[in-house]
Parts: sequence; C-alpha cells; structure tokens
Amino acid sequence: MNSFADLGSSKLESSLNDELKKHVSAYDKYKDLPEDELFTPAEFDSSEAEMGGYSNYSYWKATLRAFLHNKTAAFFLAVIVIVLAFTFIQPLLPNQRSAKTIYNDSETGIQIVNRQPDSEFWFGTNSIGQDLWARTWAGTRTSLGIGFAVACWEALFGTVIGLLWGYVRKLDTFFTEFYNIFDNVPQTLVLILISYIMKPGVNTIIFALCLTGWLGMARFIRNQVVIIRDRDYNLASRCLGTSTGRIITKNLLPYLVSVITLRMALAIPEAIGNEVFVTYIGIGLPTDMASLGNLVQAGRLVMSQPELRYQLLFPTAVLAVITISLYIVGNSFADAADPKNHVD
Amino acid sequence: MRAVIEKCNNSSKRLAEIRSINFSKGQDTVTKYISKRILHSLITLCIVIVIVLALLRQMPIEGYFNNFDKMSQTQINVTLKQLGLKDPLPVQVGRYFVQLLHGDFGTSIKYRAGYSNAKIIAQKAPLSIEIGLISLAIALILGLPLGAAMARSTRSKFKFWDRFGTVLIVIVQAIPSAVYYLLIQLYGSEWFGVSMLFSRSNYATWILPIFSLSLGNIVYYAMWLRRFMVDEANKDYIKLACAKGVSQKKIWDRHVFRNAIVPLVQYIPNSILFTLMGSLYVESLYSIPGMGGLLVQAIKIQDNTLVEALVVLYSMISVVGLLLGDILMAIFDPRISFTGKEGAR
Amino acid sequence: MEDNDIQKGETLISIKDLAFDFTLRGQTLHALRGISLDIKKGESLAIVGESGSGKSVFVSNLMGLNAQNGHVSGGSIMYRGLDLTKLTTEKEWSEIRGRRIAMIMQDPMTSLNPLKTIGWQISEAVEMHRGLNGEAAKKAVYELLGDVGISNPERRYKQYPYEFSGGMRQRVVIAIALACKPEILICDEPTTALDVTIQAQILGILKRLQEKYELTSIYITHDLGVVADVADRVAVMYAGDIVEVGTCNEVFYDPQHPYTWALLSSLPQLGIKGEQLYSIEGTPPNLFYEVHGDAFASRNPHPLKIDFVKCPPMFEVTPTHFARTWLLDPRSPGVEKPEHIKRLNEKYQELMKKNGESVSGQEPARTALEGAAI
Repeated sequence: MNSFADLGSSKLESSLNDELKKHVSAYDKYKDLPEDELFTPAEFDSSEAEMGGYSNYSYWKATLRAFLHNKTAAFFLAVIVIVLAFTFIQPLLPNQRSAKTIYNDSETGIQIVNRQPDSEFWFGTNSIGQDLWARTWAGTRTSLGIGFAVACWEALFGTVIGLLWGYVRKLDTFFTEFYNIFDNVPQTLVLILISYIMKPGVNTIIFALCLTGWLGMARFIRNQVVIIRDRDYNLASRCLGTSTGRIITKNLLPYLVSVITLRMALAIPEAIGNEVFVTYIGIGLPTDMASLGNLVQAGRLVMSQPELRYQLLFPTAVLAVITISLYIVGNSFADAADPKNHVD
Repeated sequence: MRAVIEKCNNSSKRLAEIRSINFSKGQDTVTKYISKRILHSLITLCIVIVIVLALLRQMPIEGYFNNFDKMSQTQINVTLKQLGLKDPLPVQVGRYFVQLLHGDFGTSIKYRAGYSNAKIIAQKAPLSIEIGLISLAIALILGLPLGAAMARSTRSKFKFWDRFGTVLIVIVQAIPSAVYYLLIQLYGSEWFGVSMLFSRSNYATWILPIFSLSLGNIVYYAMWLRRFMVDEANKDYIKLACAKGVSQKKIWDRHVFRNAIVPLVQYIPNSILFTLMGSLYVESLYSIPGMGGLLVQAIKIQDNTLVEALVVLYSMISVVGLLLGDILMAIFDPRISFTGKEGAR
Repeated sequence: MEDNDIQKGETLISIKDLAFDFTLRGQTLHALRGISLDIKKGESLAIVGESGSGKSVFVSNLMGLNAQNGHVSGGSIMYRGLDLTKLTTEKEWSEIRGRRIAMIMQDPMTSLNPLKTIGWQISEAVEMHRGLNGEAAKKAVYELLGDVGISNPERRYKQYPYEFSGGMRQRVVIAIALACKPEILICDEPTTALDVTIQAQILGILKRLQEKYELTSIYITHDLGVVADVADRVAVMYAGDIVEVGTCNEVFYDPQHPYTWALLSSLPQLGIKGEQLYSIEGTPPNLFYEVHGDAFASRNPHPLKIDFVKCPPMFEVTPTHFARTWLLDPRSPGVEKPEHIKRLNEKYQELMKKNGESVSGQEPARTALEGAAI
C-alpha cells in the first residue's frame, strides 16, 4: 500500500477514491462460505467500523430538492420565467404595435377608441385609441424595471450597510437608533411625501422606494452577522480551526442568499402596488407613459361600463399573474432553504 | 417570507432590549420597560417630525397659493415671508413645534381657506377611527380562527383549511392592495347591488370598504397565528400534554392557541399601520369623508399646509401605534417580566 | 380492552417483532428492526443504549407519540388484549394515554407549559382521569404534590414553572404522570438533565412511588449507574434491536453479548489507573441501509465471520437471560471475555460467597460496581 505521506493532495484524493471503490463489504466477502467456516473468527477491520454513520446532507441539494418537490413552486417558477421572457421578447415579435401610437380607422380617419378585443387588437384599444396589448406589455416592462431596480438597490446597499452594522461594533448603536427612527414611518407615507415634492416620474418613484426599502434588508443582514459571531456552533467551528471564509460560506451564506432572493422577489410586487397607489392620487408616473399602475387607473375610470371592463381586467390579470408567481416562488425558495424543512 | 425578516427583526429587537435592561422581581420591570419605551418613542417622534418638516419645506411653492399664476414675484415673496417660509430651517422647525404643542396644525390655504387645519381634521377623524377600529376587530374575529384552523389542519390528511387559507393568503398578499380594493369595489357593488358611494346612514355601504380594509389583516393574522401555532405544537410540553391524555381539541385550544397568541401581539401595530395606509385609498375610492380621503384631496389640490398637517399627524400615529405594540408585548410576554429567573435550577 | 387482574410477575405487555420506520428526505430509516420483549407487571425494566439506538422511539410506540413521518412497519404490541400498533385515532389512544400508561420526559425545563400555573397543569390531569372538580381536585393535587415531596403545596399550586428549579419541575412532571393513576410509567431519561444530587432524589421518589402505587416502570437511560440503582431487569439496545436482556445481576455479571461487554468495559469506574480508558471504536451503523448480520459486528474486536452474514437469534442463557449473539451457538468457538468483565465477574463471585445465597435485587450490582473501581 502506498504511504499517503508520499502522495500530493490531488493524487491523495484519487487514491482514496480508488481504495474506497476496491473496498468490498464484509457481508459480500463472507456470505457464500460454508457453515463450518462461518463460525471461525474474522479479522477486525477498524475502517469498516467508522464507515457506519454519515449524513448525506448537502445544503444546496436539499434546498433544490425541497423546492422542486413542491410542484406548485416549480410550476410558478416556470410561469414567471415564461412571462418575464415574453415581456422582453414581445416587442421583437412580428406584427407588434407601439404602445404610444394612436390608431386611426383607415376608413373614417377617427381614432379607434374603446374597441373590444378582437383579432386585430388582442387586448382591444383604450379610450384614446392606443393598442392595449402593446401598452400592457410595455407597462409590465416599466413596472418590472422599477421593481427590479429597487430590489437590486435594496440587496446591494442593504447588504453592505448590514455587514458594516454587524461587524463594526462601534457603529451598532448608531445604526440601531437610526433604524428605530425610520422604522416608525410607513414606506407609503414617505413615497407620498417624496412624490409630492419631486416631479412625478420613474426616477422619483425609484428614489422614494429605495429610500426606505433597504432598511429591512440591512437589519436582517446585520442580525445574521451578529449571529455568526455569537452562535455556539460557530464558536465551535472556529475552535476546530475553520477559517472565517468557510464559516461565512457554509453557515452564513445559505441563509443570506435565500432571504436576499426572497426580498428581491417580493420587492417587485411591492413596487407595483405602491406605483398603482401613487398614480391614483395623481403623483405617479405621467399618464402617457405605460406602466401597470397607469393602466390600472385608466381601467378604473371606465370600469363601471361592463363592455369596457376589459381595459381594467387585462392589465390586472397580467399584474396578478406576475405578483402571485413571484410571491410563491420567493416564499417557496425561502422555505426550501430553511434547513428545518429538509426533513422529508 | 417577508414574514421571516419581520419576525427576525422584531424578535431580535425585543431580545436586545430585554438584555439591555437590569431586571429585578415583580411588576416594576414591566413599568420600567414601558416608561423607557415611551421616552424612546417621544424622542423618535421629535426626530421624525423634524425630518418630515425639513422635507416638507421642499414642497412646490404653488401649494401655498390660491391663485399662483396671477401673482407677481414680489407678491409671492411677501406672502412667503408672511408664512415664515423664508426663515432659516431651524427657526421654522422650532416654530412649528411650538405651534404643535398648542395643537395648532396650521391653516388651510386651498381646501378651506383660512380654516384651522386642526379643526378640519378633527371633523373627519372620528369616522376614520370608527371604520379603522371596526375593520381591525373584524380582522381579528375572522383571521384568528382561520389561522387556528389552518394550524390544526396541518395534522390532518386532507389539510383542507391549510390549503384554502394558503391560497387566500397568497392571493391577498401577492396582489397589491391597491388592485384588489378596486376589484372588490367593482364586483362587490355589482354582485350585492350596493352603491359604490359611501353614505353614513346606509349601513350596506359600510360593508365593502370595511371588508377591503380588513382583508389584508385577516390574512396577515391568519398567517402569523398559523406559524406560531405550528411552532408551539412541536414543543416538548405539548408532547407531555399528549402523554397526559389531554384531547387534541383541548391541546390546540388551551395550550397551543393560548401560547401562540402571545408573540402574535407584536404584529398588531404593524396591522394598524397597514389599515392606516390602506384607509387613504379606500376612503377616496368610496368617497368616505374621513382623514385618508382628506389627505388624498389635499394632495390633489396641492394645499401644502394641509398636506403637512396630515403627514405629521400620520407620522405621530405611526409612532404611537408601534409604541402601543411594544407595551402590549411587555404585558403579554412573560419573558420580559420573568427574565432573571429563567434558567435557574 | 381486558380489565382482568394481572398478577405481579405476569406478562403485562408483549411486544413481538416490532419494526418502525421513518421517512426522511425520501429515504427510509429503519429505526426499530424487529424487537421482541415482554414486560412483566410490577417490575422495573431499564432499557439501555447509546444515543440513536432507538430507545425513545421504542417506548414512544407504547403511547403513539412518534413523529408524523414515522410508522409501524411490522410486529405487534399486545397490552391487555389490545394491539397498540393498530391504534390510529385519538379516541382509541385516549384510553391508554395517561390512564394506563404515563410518561415523564427528559428535559424538565421544557416539559411544562410556561404560561400556566403548575397547579393548573396537574389538575388538568386530575380532572380528566379522576373526574374530580373544584375543591376535590385541588385536594388531590395537594396530595400529589406531597407524594413527590413538594412542601407547601397551597403556595406552590399558584406558581409558574419558571419559579421552580429543574429538580422541582421534574417532581411536578412526576406528579402529573401519577395524577392519572396509571398502570405503567415510562421514564425517558428522567435524570439526564439534572445534576447528580438531584438525580438521587428523583430516583428515590420514583422508587418510592412505584411501590406505593404498584406501578410497572420502564426506564430509558444511557447511564448504567441509574440502571443499577432502580432496575430489576435490563434490556440492552443497539441499532434498533435488543441484543441482550436479563435481570440486573445477570447482565452486569454474566454478560454474553460483545456489545454489553464493550458497554461495561467503557465504565470509567472499571478503568485501571495509569492505563488508557476503554472506548468502543467506530460509530453505530447507518440505519438507512439494510443491516446484514449482527449490527455490532463491525465494531466487535473479536467477530466471527457469520456475524457479518446472518442475524443471530435470541439464545437462552437462563430462563430470564437472553442474548442475541452467535457466541452462544454451540458451533461457535469460545471467545474470551475481556479483562474488565472478568474482573467484574470475580468481584461478584466474592460477594456471592460473602453474603451466602442472598443475591437478589439490585444491591450487589451496585456495590460490586463501586467495589470494582480501582
């Protein structure tokens, strides 16, 4: 047998694997022996003794397994991927119209106003003659863009602040007080305020939502960092000589990633909701711009007439599909990432 | 879930505060804790008001004038000076604080020119409060049993309540409230033949707005209660109660439910805030003459002082609401009174 | 259920080939692999084993308290004409739980509801099982508190668990278990979480109460000292199966199974000063996989080839002593007992001679263990 000390580490690994493959269990070795031979002493193999209990637990595998096992989650994941893909591919498809052009009837020259959905205009037209299909998808792009921008900011800025907050003990009191103050004011109120002060527009909304959104994320990251320092199992890991890097990747990162993704997934519906609200008050995006908020509000104006209701229902339907899918996928992922659920 | 972050944040907030206080026996601990929190909230309130005021000073100046277009630059400047808006910020803030202490929220400019904002708001507030309280009550009455049913059904084969409740929770939490308020108004008034316009005397018109406001909270309480109950049900003392031979029903009601309510209390202030913000939209949808509708109107017509008054007021309510939550927690959570004895052998 | 009077010493519960599985991460964990055991009325049985041997799972089956992802996959538990493995609904179990079989658990700090007074918690059991109410229930609770040695019951009744120390809480738990006047009391590691002095008190209470109420006690423990203190019979469990069962003296002084040898050899009291303490090499087998042969074979320092191939049946040593090892098969060559065991045996022989024929119960077991320490 080779002396392991002689081998380099990669060779060591392959050599170990070979040994393991060569290993035949004692059961297979002895099972076919005749009776009188069976009752003779066997040798004691200490390596067999150790092979007994080991856990085949891999965090990410178990997470993925739990997630995919949940058929609902997998389904909605497919849904959201398809919808997202379509949203961005849509303008590239043939025969698509622009969201802003007002369409005139070729015969009369009058705007095609409030036309029901038909083969030409799949979602119908709105009250000024724009193609609702194009507008819906354009609006989705805008709203998703806003939500995604806010989500990214939250994730980045929130994480950075959270890490600082957690690591640098001197900053802890400052940030905690800061957080306590700003936690008291609802995000909606801030949004109203900012939108009232600044000119309505995409940037205003993004700014207002980003202003308060990162707080929650920062707080959570900070808590996780503190837990790293203080939990017994981390102390034990450090005593055993585990490097900080490994502690971070094996103990901290799994929780962080799952929550960050969740937070990002939920930030998008939140942003859309806020946008709808603020548009209603009149301080949202400019009306010519297509956004889900604008579309819902425009639809609201005509909703009392049943034949025009489609103007509300189509954007609402798209909105509902997106928000529900994101919610389910985000939560399912977070649940799947929770080790407590890695039981079955 | 957003739930998870909130829960972590809240419980670490509580625990940090618990650890930072020196405990002795008895009721003093609770009162000490409460006094500390009140003081803390007062300070927070002041800071919040200062920041809000500073921001509000950035409001477009058209909001201060009834006929802005017709005024000359000098006239504008004179009025601004009169209103005290040309003074340095600290002076303005200080002045506003003094006014606040006298209960003066400024004077409306456009909504009802010359009227005291405080009076205007006071007229509208009672209705909002009434509607808010009713919807919170309904949320508890419907949400808690739902959550309990969901928790219990996790142990059954078909898990009907759990599935039903989960679908409901997902729909209500995922779809923005601004959207489902609309749908409720639309289809509610159509199917039940109720007018979309609120009328104080016609009780039928109260149903839809109150339901809209409570829906979010019903689902919120149900979700949290279910979570807490499932957690409690896995604890050792429940196993012992089972071994004692206590019936499942009694275990769920007397042990699991009662104990799970305790941490639930900390989510009540959040739901108050939610109702508060929701009322802004719901009130204007149904033309309810309340505070929320007032704010929306004030924004639409750009009456700066009224907007300011309302934003400040809402901030105050938020702070107080969260404070109330902490106080309730202190009363309900035995760990706060009992710490110091915990772990003694 | 049959309610006839069973005499002391007769079989009360008969467990045959009990197999229990858990579904975990899509795989099946065979926690119990065919256990057969008889429990006699009035006896005090100890079940010993390492963590993970399946002791708690085993007794939880007597009350149907296992986790939801577990199920009985074979065998039966006959108690007074009723097969406990067939009970599924709560109504069926309500006859058994508390009323006939009661349990006290390991961690007294978490066994009690933190938000209810201990008086309330005990009277919940009293009201349910004895049908008492109000004042009568209260008096019964005071009596129980007195039984477990808690003084000043009137004051204690109104107190909350956090106001009690660990030992006191365990007494409350015992009071609750007895409120039901059960026939069988299961103690799942009742003293593991307590320090040594309290341990003695609690065991003393349990022994006294067993006599007073004519209980049949089942103790789960990994502490051989506790076994020596309280048990009439011992069953040694390993990897989900019982490997040896017998009276205390038989198992301690005439152990037959290599695992029992290893267990006893590991006792620090038996170590020789200056020499390394004995410990069993390796780890218990992974029960996700099927076990071929004797589960202990891979850690046995002197195995036979057949130990790896076929699972041994229970061999009889005396009418009360059985062991599941091929060493007892007439075809096997003799294997020498380890040093420590031989020494223990010698001590026991000495004691036998000293006391004449009076070797019964636990006394010799304990004293010899103490005496064997060097």
